[in-house]
Amino acid sequence: MAAKLGIAVPAKGRLKEAAAALFERAGLAVRKTGHDRGYRGIMPGLDGVDVAFLSAAEIVHQLKAGRVHIGLTGEDLIRETLPNVDGSVEFLAPLGFGRADVVVAVPNCWIDVCRMADLEDVAAQFARVHGRRLRVATKYLNLTRRFFASAGVAGYRIVESVGATEGTPAAGTAELIVDITTTGTTLAANHLKVLEDGLILQSQAHLLAARGAEWTKSTIRLRDAILDRLSKAV
Amino acid sequence: MSAESARKFEALEAQAVTLLDVFKRRGYEQVAPSIIQPADIFLDQIGEAIRGRTYVFTDLTGEELCLRPDLTVPVSRLYLERHPRADVEARYCYNGPAFRFQQRRASQTHPREFRQAGIECFGVADRDSADTEVVLLAADAVRAAGLKEYRFRFGDIALFFALLDALSLPERWRLKLRNYFWRPPAFHALLSRLAKGESADSDSAASELAATLGAQDPALAEETVATYLEANDLLLAGNRTLGEIAERLLDHAADLRAEPLPREVATVIDYFLAVEASPREAVDRIAMIGKGAGIDLGPSLYVLSRRFDLLEKCGVNIRIATFATEFGRDLEYYSGLVFQIEAGGSPIAGGGRYDSLLRSVGARADVPAVGSAIHTERLLACVKGLS
Repeated sequence: MAAKLGIAVPAKGRLKEAAAALFERAGLAVRKTGHDRGYRGIMPGLDGVDVAFLSAAEIVHQLKAGRVHIGLTGEDLIRETLPNVDGSVEFLAPLGFGRADVVVAVPNCWIDVCRMADLEDVAAQFARVHGRRLRVATKYLNLTRRFFASAGVAGYRIVESVGATEGTPAAGTAELIVDITTTGTTLAANHLKVLEDGLILQSQAHLLAARGAEWTKSTIRLRDAILDRLSKAV
Repeated sequence: MSAESARKFEALEAQAVTLLDVFKRRGYEQVAPSIIQPADIFLDQIGEAIRGRTYVFTDLTGEELCLRPDLTVPVSRLYLERHPRADVEARYCYNGPAFRFQQRRASQTHPREFRQAGIECFGVADRDSADTEVVLLAADAVRAAGLKEYRFRFGDIALFFALLDALSLPERWRLKLRNYFWRPPAFHALLSRLAKGESADSDSAASELAATLGAQDPALAEETVATYLEANDLLLAGNRTLGEIAERLLDHAADLRAEPLPREVATVIDYFLAVEASPREAVDRIAMIGKGAGIDLGPSLYVLSRRFDLLEKCGVNIRIATFATEFGRDLEYYSGLVFQIEAGGSPIAGGGRYDSLLRSVGARADVPAVGSAIHTERLLACVKGLS
């Protein structure tokens, strides 16, 4: 029997519904196997595919480990989680949904701050006045560190935040944030503004292939079939 | 990778005994600070760059901890625990593991788990003699371990700060250049910008408001900013104060008005930072640069020169050593002497003076502190390679 193709799709979260709709449009609707609350499935429209419903973070890990062949998740998570993105995964296709910008945002009362370059000076001033570093609240530790380093900003520290990040500056637990935004409404509601050159990443959902997975003739054929049908449906 | 074979383990252990023996005979008390350290101190004081190289984790109570990336901060904390007023002399030595994430994968020369043997000397008011003592002791130790050929590389952070103090500059530029010293690309961009008379962001939204502030006194500027915020429906939120915002706008306004940095001043800084030569030659060149610019570097050049006299008198072959004004620019906690012992093209030991670190970990004021750490796996590899 030919090897099956493993595909990881979101089991919950903001990408789940849109992903399911896309597969359906592509004639690849997923049907759960076994218990209704289970986490495995098949694609009745395409033989030889094993579907795993996973959390967004788990999808990245499974891709990295090569335990699934392809997967669907946001570019932000991929770039945040994988130290060696190009060595671990191949971006097969952007899927046109789940769009979100990862940005650097500061309180909009900081009228003296417009750009990343200002942050280093603010950091020095803040250290002089308050005796500590600027704190950046984020769940994107690695993206933040890389972006700040490339902008030459060093006088800060990260405080990890997994929810309600936008509220941390007003609450006083951080001075600025790195977070995702789609419309900017939440940022504005929390009196925050995005720095002019503070766009770290324009993210959207992608179909990805794991470089470390076992690629055989049959799995390659299945990958190409899925890619082909999804591309037409995007 | 640390000592994975029994033979290597024994060799490292034997080497550690030799090193510690040298340290202890010179009055350095052996200590063993905790391997698990609060992450806060490292991240808050040494900066985020180190988090990228540190194993940070959260324990079951939610406390953020790390595996120590070096032993200088842990030993400094130990000193402060024992002497909260930081008012006594203390000399400590240690040998133990430190942990650093290696971006390019751990290797023989860049292990993620390695053993540091080192010394830290606190509270000695005679900085010259403490500096010399630590340099000589580090050299004695690697020699005792069997290292025959090595050379020194020196730097001195205080010298650059003395240069900035001596140059005629607006204070806000001095502060900026001091801070940017630790980030070379930003430093050079700033320097050339000041020399060209370009304001970084004369086109930014802030410039307009800054221009209206002109040279107001701080209290008045604060009021103007408050009025502006109110008029534009901007809520003052977070930890930065109105005063801080106004201060930066006033600085910006002053930048907009300021004459560019005289070309000569930028040149002097560039020439100074390009000095890399044998110590004697370096001292002469720096003296010449100072003389040419008509500035007095104060006692720091004399201190530097006397330090080399002392080292030479004590048998250090400074003719094959290098002094570089830029050396040490990547570790923000150094404040004076920095040095490295190199063999076979790689650094075996390093160290320097870090007078302000203790204040960052809780002392009430700066405390004289100087130390050195030996990368013991590299030392062992080098000794084995040479013998």
